[in-house]
Order: sequence, then structure tokens, then C-alpha cells
Amino acid sequence: MIFGIELPQIVFSTIYFAASLGVVLLFALFLVWWERKVSAHIQVRFGPMMTGKWHGWSQTLADALKLLQKEDIVPRDADKRVYFWAPVVVFGATMMTFVVIPWSPQFIAADLNVGILYIIAITTFTIISLLMAGWGSNNKYSLLGGMRSAAQIVSYEVPLTLSIMGVVLLAQSLSMQDIVADQDKFWNWNIIRQPLGFVVYIIAATAEVNRTPFDLPEAEQELVAGFNIEYSGMKFAMFFLAEFVNMFVVAAIATTLFLGGWWGPFANESLGWLWFVLKTLGVIFVLMWFRWTYPRLRVDHLMEFAWKWLLPLAFLNLLATGLIYNLVK
Amino acid sequence: MGFIKQVFSGIYNLVAGLFVTGKHLGRHAITLQYPKERWEMPERSRGVVVLLSNLETGKLNCTACLLCMKACPTGAIIIDREKNPDTKRWEPTKFVIDNTICAFCGLCEESCNFDAIKLTGKYEFSVFDQAELIYDLDRLAELGRDVKYTPRKKPAAKKKAAQQKPPASAKKPDEKKAEKAEDKPGEEKPEARAAEKPANKPENKAEEKAESKPDEKPEEKPAPKQAEKPVENKEKAEAADNKPEEKKSEKPDEPKQENLDLDKEKDKKDSGN
Repeated sequence: MIFGIELPQIVFSTIYFAASLGVVLLFALFLVWWERKVSAHIQVRFGPMMTGKWHGWSQTLADALKLLQKEDIVPRDADKRVYFWAPVVVFGATMMTFVVIPWSPQFIAADLNVGILYIIAITTFTIISLLMAGWGSNNKYSLLGGMRSAAQIVSYEVPLTLSIMGVVLLAQSLSMQDIVADQDKFWNWNIIRQPLGFVVYIIAATAEVNRTPFDLPEAEQELVAGFNIEYSGMKFAMFFLAEFVNMFVVAAIATTLFLGGWWGPFANESLGWLWFVLKTLGVIFVLMWFRWTYPRLRVDHLMEFAWKWLLPLAFLNLLATGLIYNLVK
Repeated sequence: MGFIKQVFSGIYNLVAGLFVTGKHLGRHAITLQYPKERWEMPERSRGVVVLLSNLETGKLNCTACLLCMKACPTGAIIIDREKNPDTKRWEPTKFVIDNTICAFCGLCEESCNFDAIKLTGKYEFSVFDQAELIYDLDRLAELGRDVKYTPRKKPAAKKKAAQQKPPASAKKPDEKKAEKAEDKPGEEKPEARAAEKPANKPENKAEEKAESKPDEKPEEKPAPKQAEKPVENKEKAEAADNKPEEKKSEKPDEPKQENLDLDKEKDKKDSGN
């Protein structure tokens, strides 16, 4: 039901999904600009200042237009079909997660009863697309980047999922709306109830979206540009956009799972989305802050950190949550 | 135990790192928006070479003594000169600086005795045609028109004022005599003299300026004073009063302080960098 009109659920779902996509693509443009601004100010410089008068606000727009006009170059020895589909898969997989993002009490395309499981499953598509890009380009650097990202994402998927399990255990549901509804008071937010889970999630999510300090798949100094080295023009823009949309997705999930989703002062049916967006932007800012503070990890350190540190911590969190939940109940 | 300590110090350092970058996030950017804003170059920076003009009369300080031409290690300076029949003094008819071979070493400036040639803070002189980098007299004078500089003190005049003896330095004896001759009448009606002067002695600018101004002095403060001071002091000394002492004690301090402040500002800028 929207504005008092009754329509079949499928129509609403489509409208909500399309609206989410539009909003998120706009957000991605904004995030690219914001990232450049944050990095610039952390390094005590200005960042883009010229395009569009006010602090270069239209810089990303101009960049996107430029990329649209670029020649579409395909390497001679590339596996053409794989090469072509890789950006489509990464973009599609990223977009599919927006089906279950709960913007507000009603504004959700489909409140699946396996919402969080769906997200974990869908985001794994990213690995396939990165491997496709790495393999299809027929370039040693891109292949190395693709392999690295596959190894990294598979490794970090484990602590990520385990940290989410704690939240699911408390909410007794996999549905995103149920999880949000469970955190109705500030002291019920999962960041208060299980801070360890939040820390593990943020770290694993940073690795999941290949951002510094876990940006080994595109380590410039070693791999030139990683898996997307052979891509140019709009295909490159797809990867780039997907990267930022992915960042938005993990931040949105962090908001949903740990920061109380659309709950907030004066939060009601019409104002919930504002709190959701604000919290998500806050998490994104923290991710950007990480990126411009920490140096990149070495490959073996990366794996060691995932398996020897994050995984035990995630287990500990799950164990403690389960014990306390049973005791309190 | 040591292991756990290491873990916690590691976490502490991660958080401390975030605070460091967070602090920078709040600071104002120190870079300049180049085409819109430009650094103010320090007074002694070695950029484009220009010919300086007298601050009041606007005539070139150059006496075509050829010292800079001889001092130039790359031979970038070429001067032709001619004696002005009216004033019996050399004047440059051709003054060429070839910026394509100039090394910006500053030896020409150091060799000059008349504040005539100076390396300025101007650094944007790229052109499309190499030939445009060879600056002629007009171009050099034009470039030097708006250049701020502190005219040097005349060591000769100062010594004369103090000792009443002909000093052995740069000044030629005849010039000094001329000065003396003019100075005495100058005490009475400085303004009238100033009015006369340009007609009499167009080439001897520094003196002219000094004499034209003694009564304006107290109000006006900026840099040009340094040059005028010695001459003024000398005049006063010749008038045989106690005044010169007071003046001396007051005046020299002001410009110095200014300079110090300037230096401080520059230091700040540099350290900010």
C-alpha cells in the first residue's frame, strides 16, 4: 500500500526496486565526489574545486560523461564473451542486493524471510565477476588481481557471515525488517549489544569491498590496476560504479544489522529513510577514513588476519551471544 | 603477557592513526588554487631579471657601467651604451638579457652598484616562441616598473655626514661635490628645490629624491626611506644640530622592524608548507 492505493505486491516491488536503483546510482556519483573530497582534506588539500562552481560538485558527472564517449577497447587475445559479461555480472549482482535493503518501515522492495541470507548469497557473485574480468582480459596482472580478490573475498566471507549470525540469533529472524524492528531502543541497537560483532563485521566488510587497507586485488604498485586493467570507457565505469555501490551496500547492511536501521528520534513511516541514509553515510565515511589512514596489508598478513584473528573473534562473539541470550531469556 | 600487550598497543595505534588523519580532516587546506591564487614570492627569490627604475621619477637606475655584463657567467647580458650629451653620463641604448641562457645566479644583481638590475619573484614567463625569451631594454624596464625594492643606503653619503671626509667607496668624487653644493641651499626650501631638480640633474635620481622629501619624512613610513635617510642625516649634520641623533635613533628601527615582520610572515608560510 502506497498513498492509500491498493496494487498488487509485484508492482510495488518493482517501483521500490527501480527507485532504490535510481537513488543509489545518484548516491554512487555523490560518493565518488565525497571520497575525493575526504581524501583531499585528510591530505590538507582541496580536491576537485573547478567543475560546477561550488567545490567541484559536478566533477563525477563530467567524468561519467567523458567515460561514455570513450572508445571501447577489447584486447586482441581476450576471451571476448567473458570479457564482455564481467562488468554486467558485477553490476547486476550489486544491484540485486537492493531488493532487501530496508529504507524505511514500508520502503523495501521485498521483505524476504531469508533477507540476510539472500544478501550473503548475492554478494558472492562479485567474486565470479572479478575472476571473469581477470581471466577474460588475458593479462597476467588482471589474472593475479582476480585470483587475489577471489581468495580474499572467500576468506573474509566466513568471519563476515559469523558476525552476522550473532545478530540473527538475537532477532530470531533472517528478515531485514524483523532485524531492524528488533532494535527499537537505542540500547537495543546491536552495536551496543555486541560491539565485537560490529568490529568484525566492519573489518570483514572493508575486505569484502576491496578497499584499503585490504585493496590487494588492485594494488597499484604490484598489479598496476588489478582485475580491471584492460577495461576502458563505460565498462571501466561499471566496475568503478559497482565498487562504490558495493560500499553503499555494506554500509547499509551495517546500518540495518548493527545501527538500528531506520530507527531514530522522531522516526516514523515518513522520516525513517532519512535516518537510514544518514547512518549509512556515517558508516561510509568511516570506511573512507580507514582508507586514507591505513597502509595496505601484505598478502600473507591478509590471510593470517582473516583466519587467525577475525574468525576466532567471530566465533567468540557468536558463543557469547548465544550463552547470554539463553541466560537472559 | 608480552603478546597481549602487543595486541593492545596495536589496537591503540590504529585508533591513534585515525585521530591523526581526523585532525587533518578538520584543517584548512594549505595548497593554493594556482591560476586563481599565487604565492607571494620572497624579496630575494631569483626569477626573471628586470631593470629597476627610480621609485619617484620612474627613470631607469642603470648607468650603463657594464659591470653586470662582465659579471655574467653565461654571457646572457649584452649592453650598448652612449653618452648623453646633456648630462655627460652613460646611458644604455641597448640592454638585452637572453633568458634562454640566463642561469639566474644573481651575480648581475650583486655586481650592480646602483639598484639597477634585480632578480624578481616573477616566474611565469613561458612563451610559444623561443625568441620571445630574449628581453630588450623596454621589456626589462616594463617588467621592473612595478617591482618593489628597498633602495640601498649610500655608504658614501653616510660616511661624509659622519666624518666630513671624502670616503673611498663607490661614489665618484665629482658626484659628491655636486651633492654638497646642492645640499646647502636645499636646507632652506626643499620643495622649491625639488621642483627645480629634475631639470638640473635628471640622472642623479637618488639625491634628487632625498632632497625633495626631507619635510615629508615624519608622516610617511614605508620602505623608500632607507635611501633617503643617510642623505637627510647628512644635511642635518651640516646644519649642525642635535637633531640628526634623534632622527637616527628613531628612523633606522622602523624599516628594520618591517623587514623582520616580513621575514616572520615568510617563515610562517614556509613552516605551514
